[in-house]
Amino acid sequence: MDAKPPAATSGTGAPLTEAQTGLWYTQRIDPANPILNTGQYLDIAGLLDVEAFRTAVDATVDEAEALSLRFGDRPDGPVQFIDPARRPFLEVVDVSGADDPAAEALALIEADTNTPLDLARDRIASFRLYRLSGERHFFYERIHHLAIDGFGMVLVTNRVAERYSCLTKGMEPAARFPPLQVALDDDRAYAASQKRDADRAFWHEAMAGLEPVTGMAPGRAISGPGFHRESLYLPSRFMERLQAFAKEAKVTWPDALTALVAAYCRRFAGTEEIVVGVPYMGRLGNVAARVPCMLMNVLPLRIAPDEAQAMGDFLVGVSKQMMRARRHGRYRSEQLRRDLGLVGGQRRLYGPLINMQPFDLPPAMPGLDVTLNILGAGAVDDITFTFRGDAVSALLMEVDSNPALYSAEATRAHSRRLAAFLEKSMEAGTLADVPTACEADVERYLVEANRTGHEVPDTTLTALIEAQMRQTSDAPALVFGDTVLNYAELDRRTAALAGELVRRGAGRDRIVAVALPRSAELVIALIASLRAGAAYLPLDLDNPPQRLARIVAAAEPVCVLAGPGSEAFAGAQVLAPADWPQEPGEEALPQVEPGDMAYVIYTSGSTGDPKGVVIEHRAIVNRLEWMRTHYGFTADDRFLQKTPATFDVSVWEFFLPFLCGARLVVAPPGAHRDPTAIAALVRRHDITTLHFVPSMLSAFLASPASQGLSVARTFCSGEELTADHRDRFHQRIAGELHNLYGPTEAAVDVSYWPAGPDDTSSPVPIGFPVWNTRLYVLDERLRPLPPGVAGHLYLAGVQLARCYLGRPDLTAERFVADPFRPGERMYMTGDLARLREDGAVVYLGRSDHQVKIRGLRIELGEIEAAIAGSGLVSDAAVIVREDRPGDKRIVAYVVAGEGYEAERLRRHMAATLADYMVPPAVVEMQAMPVNANGKLDRKALPAPSFEVVAARAPATPTEAALCQLVADVLGLEMLPDPDADFFNLGGDSLLAVHLLLRVQERFGFDPGLGVLFEHPTIATLAAAIDADRVHDSGLEPVIKLRGGDGGRPPLFIVHPAGGLSWGYRTLARSLVAGRAVYGLQSPAIDPDHPLPDSLDALAADYAQRIAELYPQGPYHLAGWSVGGIIAHAMAVHLQARGKKVGLVAMLDSYPAECWRAEPEPDEAAALRALLAIAGYDPNAHPELTTRAAIIAFLRAGDSPLGNLPGTALDGVVRVVLDTNRLVRTHYHGRYDGTVTHVRAGLDHKERPDLVPELWLAHAVALDCVEVPFLHPQLTAPAASALIAPELDRRLAEYD
Amino acid sequence: MAITLERMRADIAGMIHEDPEEIGLEDNLMDLGIDSMRLLNLILKWQEDGLDLEFAELADRFTLAGWWEAIQAKQAGGGT
Repeated sequence: MDAKPPAATSGTGAPLTEAQTGLWYTQRIDPANPILNTGQYLDIAGLLDVEAFRTAVDATVDEAEALSLRFGDRPDGPVQFIDPARRPFLEVVDVSGADDPAAEALALIEADTNTPLDLARDRIASFRLYRLSGERHFFYERIHHLAIDGFGMVLVTNRVAERYSCLTKGMEPAARFPPLQVALDDDRAYAASQKRDADRAFWHEAMAGLEPVTGMAPGRAISGPGFHRESLYLPSRFMERLQAFAKEAKVTWPDALTALVAAYCRRFAGTEEIVVGVPYMGRLGNVAARVPCMLMNVLPLRIAPDEAQAMGDFLVGVSKQMMRARRHGRYRSEQLRRDLGLVGGQRRLYGPLINMQPFDLPPAMPGLDVTLNILGAGAVDDITFTFRGDAVSALLMEVDSNPALYSAEATRAHSRRLAAFLEKSMEAGTLADVPTACEADVERYLVEANRTGHEVPDTTLTALIEAQMRQTSDAPALVFGDTVLNYAELDRRTAALAGELVRRGAGRDRIVAVALPRSAELVIALIASLRAGAAYLPLDLDNPPQRLARIVAAAEPVCVLAGPGSEAFAGAQVLAPADWPQEPGEEALPQVEPGDMAYVIYTSGSTGDPKGVVIEHRAIVNRLEWMRTHYGFTADDRFLQKTPATFDVSVWEFFLPFLCGARLVVAPPGAHRDPTAIAALVRRHDITTLHFVPSMLSAFLASPASQGLSVARTFCSGEELTADHRDRFHQRIAGELHNLYGPTEAAVDVSYWPAGPDDTSSPVPIGFPVWNTRLYVLDERLRPLPPGVAGHLYLAGVQLARCYLGRPDLTAERFVADPFRPGERMYMTGDLARLREDGAVVYLGRSDHQVKIRGLRIELGEIEAAIAGSGLVSDAAVIVREDRPGDKRIVAYVVAGEGYEAERLRRHMAATLADYMVPPAVVEMQAMPVNANGKLDRKALPAPSFEVVAARAPATPTEAALCQLVADVLGLEMLPDPDADFFNLGGDSLLAVHLLLRVQERFGFDPGLGVLFEHPTIATLAAAIDADRVHDSGLEPVIKLRGGDGGRPPLFIVHPAGGLSWGYRTLARSLVAGRAVYGLQSPAIDPDHPLPDSLDALAADYAQRIAELYPQGPYHLAGWSVGGIIAHAMAVHLQARGKKVGLVAMLDSYPAECWRAEPEPDEAAALRALLAIAGYDPNAHPELTTRAAIIAFLRAGDSPLGNLPGTALDGVVRVVLDTNRLVRTHYHGRYDGTVTHVRAGLDHKERPDLVPELWLAHAVALDCVEVPFLHPQLTAPAASALIAPELDRRLAEYD
Repeated sequence: MAITLERMRADIAGMIHEDPEEIGLEDNLMDLGIDSMRLLNLILKWQEDGLDLEFAELADRFTLAGWWEAIQAKQAGGGT
C-alpha cells in the first residue's frame, strides 16, 4: 500500500498536494484569470548594493525549490516537477529615466501582476528590482499561488534580506530551507492518516445543520480577474486600545479582531449566523513549517453572536472556537466543501474572509529603510478583511472585494465603517451597544437623503379644486360612460350637494360617509364632502353589512351618501343621489383650514377592528402637489379612475386631475379587474395616466388586450413591483412606469422610483422620499442603519396621518417620537427595508403578521378575531401561504369547538369580513402545532388541500378542457369536479382573470369576467362557452365570429392560406350589429383529415356546409386573398345548385391564372405567411426562415395561433404549404353576378398586372373599392374600419 | 538571563492560563492552545532575554521537547 509516489525531482513528476489541487482547478476553469498571481514589493530606500542583492536573491531562489516548479497535465491528474531550467533570477530594470520613476515602476508591476500565467510555459515566479534612483529601489516578487502562500512569501523575503545582511556583514547565513519534498511527503502521509479521519469527523460535526451560507452582499461569489482594495493604517491609539482590549478579555488581539469583524459582517448578512473563512497557515507542528510552498488552508468559522452577551464572554467564546478549529486545521476546506455538497451554483462554505497576518512586517536590511506593500494574495470571491502587522509598530487594514458584488464606493465605506465599528466595540459592554452605521453614513443616508424640504402652499385640497374649477370652467372634467361634466358643471353639482351636507351638519371634524359604486355621483360626493368642510369616509359596498355597521358606528358620519336600501346604514341618515339638490343654494360654504381632516380611510386592524386613518388637508396637498410637479402633469392629461375609493391610491386618481385642469375618466364598476375592459378604456379615452397594483399589472400584461398599448405614465403601488413586472411592462407597453410606496397612514405615497426600460434594479426599489418627507431605516434600538443592512422602515414629515380615529392607544403605539427631529413624530410602518448605496430604499417584506394580498392590506389578527367571534372554534390561526411562487392565499386553521360546522363558520366569516379577507381554505386541526417555547409553529401547519375528489367525469369536451384549465390555474393536483365552484376551489378574482386568459388561449375568445361570476361552476361556464360558440372549438370548419339577431342572412367569410378564419374577428365586429358572421375554416387543419383534392372540391364542401347551416339563403360570401378565390368558387357551386347568392366580396384576391406563371414559391416563403396570419409583420422578422424557427417563434408569442395544440399548428402548416398547389391547379368557373373587389391600394407595386378587372373573365360585373393599405393589413382594425361600412352598405341592399 | 527548560515551561503555561506542571515534554502545544500569535508572543518575550529565535524555527516540532532541542542547537551554534 505504501507505494511511494514519484518525487518532484523525478522525471515523471509528483502529484499535487491537496492544497495545490484546489488552486489548480480554479486556474484551469479560468486560465485567463491572473488573480492567483500573488505578489508584493519592498520599497527600499538607501544605498542598496545591487550586486549583493542579486546574489542574495539568486541564492534564495536556488534553495526555495517551489519557485522552480513546472506543472503538467496528465490523464490521471496534474503533476509538478522541480525544473532547474525554470528557476527564476533577479532582473534589474532601470526606470530612473522616467518622468515619475515610482509611477513607472508601479505601472510595470501592475501590468505584470495582471498578466495571467501559462502554467505549462511560463516561470512560476518572477523577481525584479526596479531602480528608481541611486537611493531608491522597488523589489518586486510575484509567485503563483500554486507554489507559495502568505507565510511562504514571508520566508522567501526574509531569507533574501537575511542573505543580503550576511553578505554585507561577511557572515554565513543560517540553515537552508528544507527540501520541497518534505512538504509533499508530509501531505501524502496526512492523506492516509487517522488524524485526517478525526479532523474530517470534527468538521462534519462542526458544520452540522448549516443553513445556506451568504455573504454581506447578494450575488454569486466567484472571483473575477481583479478586486477593489481599500487600505487604512489604523492609528497608534487604535493599536494600544486593541492590545489592552484583548488583554482584558485574555484573548490574542488577532482573535479579538476576528470576532469583531465577524460580528460586523453578520449584521450585513442579516442572518442569525455568519460563516466566515479564516486563513490558517497550517505550519505549526508541521515538519514542512519552514518550506516555502503552498500549505495554507481556510477554516470555516460559524459565528452566531448573542449581541446582548458581555463583550469579553463573546470574545472568549470565539477564541475557544478558533482554538478547536486550528487543531483540526489541516483538513482542506475544498474537501469539506465537496463532502458537504456545497460545490456549484451559489452554494459555498463561507462568506467573507478574515485574514490576520501579524507577521507581515518589512524585513530588516542594514543601512536601508524598507516598507512592504502586498499586491494580491489570491482569489477574492467575496470580500476579504486583512490585518497586516504586529499591532505595535503598525497595523494595516485592507478591504479587498469582488467587484461583481461590491462597488468601489461600498468597499471604501466598509473600510471606514468597520474601523469605526471596531473602535466603538472596544469601548462597549456588549455588541448590541454598538451601532452599525458610522457618522458618515448618518450624514449621507439619514440627513442628506432626507433633505426633501420644498415650499408647498399652506392650503387645502378644497381650495385647490375650487380654484381650478373657476380657472378652466369650460374644460371637460369628468367622464363616466356617456356622461361628461365640465368644470363648471362639476362646480355646480358639488356646490349644491355641499350646501345640503352643511345643512345636515357637515363641517370641521365631521365625517360624511360615501358608499357609492364607481360613478359620476361618487366623484361628486367626494368633492362635495370636502367643500362642506368635512372629511369623506369611503365605504366598500362589497363589505358585509356587519363590518360596515361597525365602521359607521365608530365614525358617526353626519350622513351616508349611498343608494337606498342598505341595512348597514340603518342607524344613519342616508342621502341617495336621487335626492341630491342639483343647484347650489345661496349660503356660503365653510372655510376649510390646512389642518382640517380631509378623508378617513379604514384599514384592517390587528385586534379585529378596522382602523380609521385620518388624513389632513396639508398632508394630501403635499402629496398631490409633489406628484403634479414631479411628473409634469398638464391639462392635457387624462386619468383613469379605477381604484376603489376605499383604497387610498384612489385619492390621487380622484383629485389630481382637478388640480391640473385635466380630465378624469371613471371606469365602470368592476372594470378594474378586467384587463380587456381596462385596455379598451385606455384606447377609447386616450388615457395618459393609470395605476395598477402589481399583481393586477401582471395579469394585464398577460392579456392580449394590452399588447402595443401606449400610456404616458403607469404607476404601481400597493405591493411589491418585481423586476419581472417591470421588464414585461416595457416589452409590451410604450410609456413610463413608476413605482410608488406608502401606507395609508402617510397620505398615499411617500417614496418614488422611476422603473424605466433602462432600470436593471432587482429588486426594484421603492426609491426616494417625496417632498417634505423622510424615510428612516432603523435597527431595533432606533439607530440609523447603513446601506446593505435590513431594518425597520419609519416615515416622518408633513404627510403623516393625524391619528387613528377614536383610537389614541393605537395612535400612540404606531406614531412615535422622531429621535432625529425633537418635537416631531415618525410612523412605524412595520415594513422591513434596506438602503442601497445610492440612498434608494428597497422593500423587503413585513416584520409582523400584516400581509397584503392583491395590494389589499390584511391584518391576520382581524380574521382570527372574526373566527374566534363565531364561538364555533376553540383555537384558530390564520396565515398566508405561498405554496406556489407568487400565489399568496389566506388559510385558516381551526380546532373545532361546540357546534362547529365548516359551512357555519364560512357563513359567519362572510358576514363579518370583507370578501378579500375570507380565507378560501379552512383546515380543521386536532390541535395547533407548537414549538419548544409553546408558541404556534407556523412552519408545521400543513398545506391545505383545495382538491375535491371529482364526483363525476367531464361530460363534454369543453368541460374536460375547462377542468384542466382550472386545475392548472389553481395548481390542483387532481382534475376538479365539473360541478365544483371555481371560487370554492380556491379561486379568487385575480385567479379568475388568469383563468379567462387561458380560456381565451384555448377557445379563441374571452367570455368575459362577468360570465365567470355568473357561472362559477365549471359545468355552467362550459355550457356558457358552448352556447356562445355554437359548435366552435376554434378549429371547426364553421365558427361563429359574431352572433346575430336572426333577422338578416349571415355573412360567410372564407379563410385565407392558413386555413383559419379567426383573423376576421375584427372585421366581423366592425360590421353593423344584428347580422351573424361565420368563418369557414379548412377541415385539413385536423391532421387526420385528408387534404382536399382540389380547390373546387373544397369550395363544393363549403357550399354544402353553409347550405345546411342556413338553408333558406341568400348566401353572402367574402374572403381575403385565397379566401376570395374560394368564395368565388363557392358562388359558382351555389348557383349551380340553384341557390341565391348575394354579396361576393374579395379582399385583394386575384384569379388563379395570375399565379400559375409565377415560379414555385419555396416552403419558407409559404411558412412566413403564417406570421401574417398570426398577426405579426413578416418583414419585421427576416431571421425566421425555417419551419422549426417559425413554429418556435409562434409558440413563444401570445397569439392565439401560437397557443394552438401541437397537432393543430402542424395542421395549419400543412394547409399553408398545400395552398399553392390548390391555387395553381384551379380553373375558375363563371359566376353569374357581380364580384365586389376590395383592393389593397398601397400594394402590388411590383405586380402592376394584378388588377381587379382580371375578375371580369370570371364574373359578369365588377364593383371596385380601394383602401390605402398593404395586402397583409386588410384584416387589421384600421383597414376593417374602412372596409366594414362598404360591406354593410352593399349587404343592406339585399335585406 | 539564560533560557532554561523550566523557564520555557512556565512561560508557555502563563500564555494559556495553565499550571506549568500541566505542560508535558511531548504534549502537542497546539492542542494546548498555542497558536501562531501566542508563539510569536513567546518569541518576543524570549528575544527580550537575548535569544534570537525565529518563528519558523519553532514551528515544525511543536512540543516543549522539540523547542528545547531547537534552542539548545541555536545556543550551541554560537549565536550571540
